[in-house]
Amino acid sequence: MARIPLGCEPVIGSLVPSKKRDYRVTNRLQEGKRPLYAVVFNFIDSRYFNVFATVGGNRVTVYQCLEGGVIAVLQSYVDEDVRTKDESFYTVTWACNRDGSPFVVAGGINGIIRVIDAGHEKIDKSFVGHGDSVNEIRTQPLKPSLVVSASKDESVRLWNVHTGVCILIFAGAGGHRNEVLSVDFHPSDMYRIASCGMDNTVKIWSMKEFWPSVEKSFTWTDLPSKFPTKYVQFPVFIASVHSNYVDCNRWLGDFVLSKSVDNEIVLWEPRTKDQSPGEGTVDILQKYPVPECDIWFIKFSCDFHYNAAAIGNREGKIFVWELQTSPPSLIARLSHAQSKSPIRQTAMSFDGSTILSCCEDGTIWRWDAVSSSSSSSSSQV
Amino acid sequence: YRLSIGFRKLKKKISASFWALNGLDGYGTADCWNCVAAECRESLWWLVKLPRMLLLLLAPTGIFSLSHSRSADQMCRDDGRVRLSAEEEMAAEESLSTYCKPVELYNILQRRAIGNPLFLQRCLEYKIQSKNKRRIQMTVSLSMTLNGASQSPSPFPLYILLARLVSESLTPEKHSAVFRFSRACIMNDFAGVNGSTQAQAHFLLPESNKLASEANSGSLSLLLVSFAGAQNAVHGLDLTKSHVENVGGCCLLGKIQLESLYASWQKSPNLALGQRVEVASAVDMYSCFLKLNCSNGDKCVFVQIPKGSENDASQVQVNVSAEEIGAREKSPYHSYTCSDVSSSSLSHIIRLRAGNVVFNYRYYNNKLQKTEVTEEFSCPFCLVKCGSFKGLRYHLPASHDLFNFEFWVTEEFQAVNISVKTDVWRSEVVARGVDPKQQTFSFCSKKSRRRKPKSHVQQVKHVYPLIFESNHHAGACDLHDKANGGKSMVSISRGAADGAGKVSSVFDEIGASVSGAQGHQEAEGVQLASDNSVVPPAMIQFAKARKLSADRSDLKNRSLLHKRLFFHSHRAQPMALEQVLSDVDSEDEVDDDVADFEDRRMLDDFVDVTKDEKHIMHLWNSFVRKQRVLADGHIPWACEAFSRLHGKSLLAAPALLCCWRLLMVKLWNHGLLDARSMNKCNLVLEGIQKQDSEGGKS
Repeated sequence: MARIPLGCEPVIGSLVPSKKRDYRVTNRLQEGKRPLYAVVFNFIDSRYFNVFATVGGNRVTVYQCLEGGVIAVLQSYVDEDVRTKDESFYTVTWACNRDGSPFVVAGGINGIIRVIDAGHEKIDKSFVGHGDSVNEIRTQPLKPSLVVSASKDESVRLWNVHTGVCILIFAGAGGHRNEVLSVDFHPSDMYRIASCGMDNTVKIWSMKEFWPSVEKSFTWTDLPSKFPTKYVQFPVFIASVHSNYVDCNRWLGDFVLSKSVDNEIVLWEPRTKDQSPGEGTVDILQKYPVPECDIWFIKFSCDFHYNAAAIGNREGKIFVWELQTSPPSLIARLSHAQSKSPIRQTAMSFDGSTILSCCEDGTIWRWDAVSSSSSSSSSQV
Repeated sequence: YRLSIGFRKLKKKISASFWALNGLDGYGTADCWNCVAAECRESLWWLVKLPRMLLLLLAPTGIFSLSHSRSADQMCRDDGRVRLSAEEEMAAEESLSTYCKPVELYNILQRRAIGNPLFLQRCLEYKIQSKNKRRIQMTVSLSMTLNGASQSPSPFPLYILLARLVSESLTPEKHSAVFRFSRACIMNDFAGVNGSTQAQAHFLLPESNKLASEANSGSLSLLLVSFAGAQNAVHGLDLTKSHVENVGGCCLLGKIQLESLYASWQKSPNLALGQRVEVASAVDMYSCFLKLNCSNGDKCVFVQIPKGSENDASQVQVNVSAEEIGAREKSPYHSYTCSDVSSSSLSHIIRLRAGNVVFNYRYYNNKLQKTEVTEEFSCPFCLVKCGSFKGLRYHLPASHDLFNFEFWVTEEFQAVNISVKTDVWRSEVVARGVDPKQQTFSFCSKKSRRRKPKSHVQQVKHVYPLIFESNHHAGACDLHDKANGGKSMVSISRGAADGAGKVSSVFDEIGASVSGAQGHQEAEGVQLASDNSVVPPAMIQFAKARKLSADRSDLKNRSLLHKRLFFHSHRAQPMALEQVLSDVDSEDEVDDDVADFEDRRMLDDFVDVTKDEKHIMHLWNSFVRKQRVLADGHIPWACEAFSRLHGKSLLAAPALLCCWRLLMVKLWNHGLLDARSMNKCNLVLEGIQKQDSEGGKS
């Protein structure tokens, strides 16, 4: 980590909630006994903004958030593939089919990515290729047929869910040196992705040079396994922001939000040198403290516009940070007497009014923003 | 292959032997061969043991059916006289075939060991060599003194020494000398008096050529020492004992110069012809003083002969005979060609000859046996000579442990009874229908049910189905009948019973594969295989086994290919079946686009390198990668090819050309490129330039 020059120290947010918005538990759901590792809203299709999916054990469940804190179970898929060992899903994301029907893409310990056509309630594809557990799958919001997966096999792979093609593999000489825990698409620059993992680094990759390959994947009609998958061996930027496992990273514009196990989310700017890729400096801008968040595999989530981020901690509390203010302000700290179990992931709804959390003990909690002011609701009216 | 070679050799030898032994003047060689072949086909057994048949054929046929005594009958009983029913005979035949596989195995092992013989074999080889070394054996014996045995006392015990003169001094009073010797022989009696074994002394001398220089130097002599005849004799002095120091006494001493002996041997022509030469001479015995000194391994005698003792010399008559040994012609028939020996006793003699060993192959629960005789203590399996019965005794269990051996020595015979160890080679011989290749490498989760130990032996018997029937079958039968006096061939009739169509189809297959496999061999062998249909069994078996195993493994592999899921090695993507079965495997190919891109990006990192330099570096790097220039030795070629490939673009940009030349100079600096190659590159560039300018003009 570079020495921070005078006057450039990161701004650390205060843990005193600003009480801008308050949330209240509106539902609590015991899905099963097995831990739930991921929960995610569908941001791909506006028709289904209130639909979310959870994964835990060998089960993928699709729910709908209804008015008044009601959660309705829509679908549940169980992976009972006897050929492999018992599946334990770690991550899930939404994508969509050519005809617009939503896809649930889930992956886990077996390394097989299951693409479930939720519109037709059937499995659409299975992506085989990862050599080990899949730790995170993310969808390219601008091209929702592209998903990227981060795996324990130290690689990141880009897939096309329409053609079932593995387009690129981000691994090799400049790749991660340990499990990749998290990966994210740049919101506007389609070529960029950021990945982070157990080698304590965040790597930013560009697929600009490989874009013809990506284009080709959309028109691929031959066998998926015949596709000339390319290796991207060198990232354009390697950042050593953290000194421990980095288990979640998200783009905030051109900045990166990343979280390690040292009780804070860090917002930083990668400054790449055009002349020499791979090198560059990191400018740490802000820090969002999250107490009791010192175990790995806890991921944060943001609303559609990245106004706020919600993160659970080891003790079952949720911290909601306003991301785009400086100094960062804590919107709310959510706690409940019965929420004691570590929260692996949260999901913020499109507008941030609903926060879901999935816990180690297999429960799903729904927090709804108490429209702090009936005024706002009245204003909506 | 070896068998086929052996076969060809055998053919030559057998036909030769037929010519010699039977004088088949009326027959052509081919006819003769057919006879032999038909005989060979008598049973599977002989087909496997074909190379060894030579021995039996060389000896008059039927030699072992004659018996001379009870023991001989037991020892070399052929199963001809044991009456068996047809079924029993078949069973016996099958039982005999259990020898086939181990014999095959040993043939293979022998072939492998040709270049690098085993330790034991090397040792035995040395033994044989030393045995065959030419040497002269000298035998010394005493005959009665002619003049008055009564008057002179008995000279015994008499010591005979082959001694070398070390130093000698002559003074007026006495004559003294020192002799060195290594061995003293003691003699207690006259030769041929009491049949005493100690009446002769044997010495081994090197062969006559080598002996010549030694003998002519005059330093070697035979000393005869007798303590008994002398006055004041010292009794109890034993010259044969070592570790006796400085003991001396009076004795009688006689001396024969080896020089004179050698001269007389040379005169007689018998020694060179390998026969015995006898020289008789009277030796004067003088009384003298003798002192024995055995220090540091050397045995020396110090002799003092006082002046005047010559007068009272007594004489001893000594016979010295010499014979060259180890040089005798080893031909087994050399000394038995006398025509007056009856055939029955001839066989007896042959059997008796040292070095002939009788091998009895027991089969059919030891009820039956086949007999074979080898000479010079040869092993019947690998034909290696073992030098002695003891050597054979070591060789057989060490090299052929798939058999049980019983060694049996009487005054008349040296015999070995052989039986197959069925329990031992279970692991090495696989049952029918099991491909040994796959047996070795395939994983079997359950215990193979096909290999129940109980039924194992029965199944193994079928390992070699009879496959050498052919369209010439009948003709061969006739020939055989002619040759063998009408005894029908069990094996062939059995094979015929299996169904002629099936057999012939099998044969066709085999024949095809055999001739295919033999394409590179001499035409003779192929012709032999196809014309006479006597394909050496090893070849058939080999070809067959290979073909079957290839077929089977191919099938198995194919089914595995269909069943299993395969993955691309780089992408870990599952492979479609057509990809698995296709010949294309692009996994190891380098993606040149990506590699170029990465190379360029890497070069971009250099700050102190000009654009042109970077460009040349990039061109060179990608050229080297694409052309797989790996070794230093590739560089000259690579430079030339690079000049050709990029010549035009280099000539278009002088800066680039300059960079390229600098790069070549750099390579030259490192000793990777020689001046001549560099010159060639520049000539190539020049040529391109010239072409361009001409093209421009026209």
